Amino acid sequence: MNPENERELLINMGPQHPATHGVLRLVLEVEGEIVKRCTPYIGYLHRGLEKLAEDLTYVQSLPLTDRLDYLSSMVNNVGFCLCVEKLLGINVPERAKFIRTMLSEMARICSHLVWIATHALDIGAMTVFLYAMRDREKLLELFEMVTGARLTVSYPRIGGVRCDVSNEFLKKLERFIDEFPKRVEEYETLIDRNRVWLKRTKGVGVISAEEAINWGLTGPTLRGSGVYYDVRKFFPYDAYDKVEFDVPVGKNGDIYDRYKCRMLEFRQSVRIIKQCIERLPEGPILADNAPKIRMPASPLKIDKEDVQFEIYVDDKSVEDFIKKFTDIYASVEAPRGELGFYIVCDDSAKPYRMRVRAPSFVHTGALPRLCEGGLIADVIANIGSIDIVLGECDR
Amino acid sequence: MIETLYVIFVSILKTALYFGILLLHVAYATYAERKVIGHIQLRLGPMVVGPHGILQPIADVVKLIFKEDIIPSNVDKRVFAIAPIISLTAALSTFAVIPVDKNFVISDMSVGLLYVLGIAGVGTYGIIFGGWASNSKYAFLGGLRSAAQMISYEVALAMSLVGVVLMAESFNLSEIVNKQNELWYGMFLFPQILGYFVFIVAALAETNRLPFDLPEAETELVAGYFVEYSGIRFSFYYLAEYLAMFSMSALAAICFWGGWTAPPVLIKIFPILSLIPGIVWFLLKVYFHIFLFFWLRGTLPRYRYDQLMAIGWKVLIPLALFNIVITSLIKYYQ
Amino acid sequence: MKVKEILTKILLIEIFKGLALTLKMLFSKSVTVQYPFEKRNIHEGFRGRHALVRDPISGDDKCIGCMRCTTVCPSRCIHIKREKRENKMVVIDYIIDASRCVYCAYCVEACPVCALVLTEDYEYSSYERKGLIFNKEKLLKNWDEFSAKWPADYYFNKFWQPPGIDPSRWPKTKREQGPVPLKRGVEIKREVKNEQLPS
Repeated sequence: MNPENERELLINMGPQHPATHGVLRLVLEVEGEIVKRCTPYIGYLHRGLEKLAEDLTYVQSLPLTDRLDYLSSMVNNVGFCLCVEKLLGINVPERAKFIRTMLSEMARICSHLVWIATHALDIGAMTVFLYAMRDREKLLELFEMVTGARLTVSYPRIGGVRCDVSNEFLKKLERFIDEFPKRVEEYETLIDRNRVWLKRTKGVGVISAEEAINWGLTGPTLRGSGVYYDVRKFFPYDAYDKVEFDVPVGKNGDIYDRYKCRMLEFRQSVRIIKQCIERLPEGPILADNAPKIRMPASPLKIDKEDVQFEIYVDDKSVEDFIKKFTDIYASVEAPRGELGFYIVCDDSAKPYRMRVRAPSFVHTGALPRLCEGGLIADVIANIGSIDIVLGECDR
Repeated sequence: MIETLYVIFVSILKTALYFGILLLHVAYATYAERKVIGHIQLRLGPMVVGPHGILQPIADVVKLIFKEDIIPSNVDKRVFAIAPIISLTAALSTFAVIPVDKNFVISDMSVGLLYVLGIAGVGTYGIIFGGWASNSKYAFLGGLRSAAQMISYEVALAMSLVGVVLMAESFNLSEIVNKQNELWYGMFLFPQILGYFVFIVAALAETNRLPFDLPEAETELVAGYFVEYSGIRFSFYYLAEYLAMFSMSALAAICFWGGWTAPPVLIKIFPILSLIPGIVWFLLKVYFHIFLFFWLRGTLPRYRYDQLMAIGWKVLIPLALFNIVITSLIKYYQ
Repeated sequence: MKVKEILTKILLIEIFKGLALTLKMLFSKSVTVQYPFEKRNIHEGFRGRHALVRDPISGDDKCIGCMRCTTVCPSRCIHIKREKRENKMVVIDYIIDASRCVYCAYCVEACPVCALVLTEDYEYSSYERKGLIFNKEKLLKNWDEFSAKWPADYYFNKFWQPPGIDPSRWPKTKREQGPVPLKRGVEIKREVKNEQLPS
């Protein structure tokens, strides 16, 4: 802090602050209530996932991606699988694609529910928090039913998905999405037209379309500024090119527009899930040439040298492909933005280097731009509106 | 001599009874709040201590009293110690003039209303001192916010009551109630609807309740001015906050809803209602307002600091002034 | 339109709508499950506490010490101690460090004899780290505790034979794995049943 300027006060917000969504630390230089400078400090949740992946095979790395953005682990898994599938040249069967799309959208709803819950709580509307959690609970139960876990699902497999969905699950999901739009309306009754909410969000944290692109924002944060960009539309993966959906786009680029974008995405997700249930084709859920956990008859085969490789890749063509030194990038539309996986591979079954393009990380970078010049209360609203998860940001 | 002793004895008895019941109410107001907010949010609220958690407030009190008294190292110890006491004393003193039933008031002051407003102002000191002495930036900001907020909203609060005073032609709270009972509908709520609105909004701000709970905004300033307090000192602040809520509700009941009296028109229609003692009417009215406070907390988001000030000075005070002018004109031409 | 907007603004319509909603919710049924007193149903296949399946006939675990689970484990929390006795591998101890486990159930899928399982039991917190390091004895005890609570007579984990995958890829033991009887008596009954079936 500049000692000459005695009017400024240095506030250390976080990492144990209730509204910083985890362990984000912001150092704010405030003059009265006005934020003059805002510096985010990250890394409190750094677990070295990218480095860990270098020591694990592709199949083994999958559970790591659960821990990136733990609110939508399904989408992370899909992103990683897509990247490896691209690398190994695997074609995912149709049914698996639809199941993945369906569960990805469920994860999106789940994640957005946590976002609306915490965002509203940060602005003071405590009740929305619990209403959103009530509905998230139902979704988590559905996740548990099909994947065996509520949060860290590890459900997709390289080349497909882990296990099939049951009819009971589909029926329950259908019942949920039928009543879900009503729930969204409930949240909107409480906050959408509420004058307090509008005052807190309209015209606050404005970022223009051009600037948003320059900062590298993606997802609803970018679309709130009026940029039509969605990985699902521009680089379709899984079954997204086979279902119909719209991409809601905002106009002003303020907190309210970002909020509105996500609220509309709830409905689009419901639409996608509905189509997936209707069109779910029969067939296998795992590609034939997918690297799998091979179970040899002789238990003592383990003494062989390159044991990891033996276990995971037993297809010769795949082995040949992987021997080439190559790099590959694949991205998915995570609830927070474009989540990309960049893998450089050598001739082993482990990545030489894995890099995750985490939307939360990029968005945290833009936080000072959004907060500076506003009030302390706006900092909180801004953190909520860019919807960051520190697990993904610090990796 | 005997007579004086008798008077002193009676007032002590009255005070003890009054405050005993009052503190019990406050303890159970915390319980009621958790239950009401819980059910609004589809939760159950406290359920474990006693049937439906009915003994929860007692458990809370015991916990707070026996908790270690932590004083952070760099605080201004004397001010830190005295600040919560100021807040609590001010909040308790308010009730000295609030009549709960006909002739049941500890001190029937002729300037009761002014006294209430003045004492409420003293409570602000407790908050500013607490925020300053804690030597914490969050507490400091909370204290500053609270000072600014309370001072600006006190103006609106006082002005909203001027209309009532004009109509009752008295500052005495009992007199105000009696004057209301002369009207056929028995309350100043209808002629003073604008004043009532301003009063409720200002009371929300004055008691730091949502949507104006900026001094203790959980998600911004963590807990605001009492972030460094714990144990019994924290409970003083907590008590003061709920007492303030009760005093504001009582004031609303007395000044706008006719205090302990039932509307004469109702009694005329259902004569049986006159059998209900005044205290019941009074408490019902107070409970309604307390519930309103909880209800609003369960529904509304929080304003921002500058917006809060703007509402206070640009909306509420002009409205209150307008109300005064209208009331005076009506009074003048009657 | 303009007049309507001003009216809604002055009359606080949207705030009253919100208040009406919260009032409605105040009188509707709450969704809380009071956890330690009442528990919600866990779906089959939930990945919870580890256990080694106790073979109802031999009364011991079924592990053959193939080290598949050790190799596949992403967090490397499974340790198997084996010894060569009379030209045969014997598993002396089987240790899972549950505090390191990520509950991916890869080990369950990899096990060729379906000896290992992640049970639907989820209440196993411990005050010390030692309590979360399961050895063979503890893992078998976990199974007993779990099977005592399990409502049915048979247990089958869905990760033993992941559906949707061609069974020809599994080893024979895995392919032929049926539901595990939880008690000795049940096993005999089943055998009788099987004999009766052809006739």
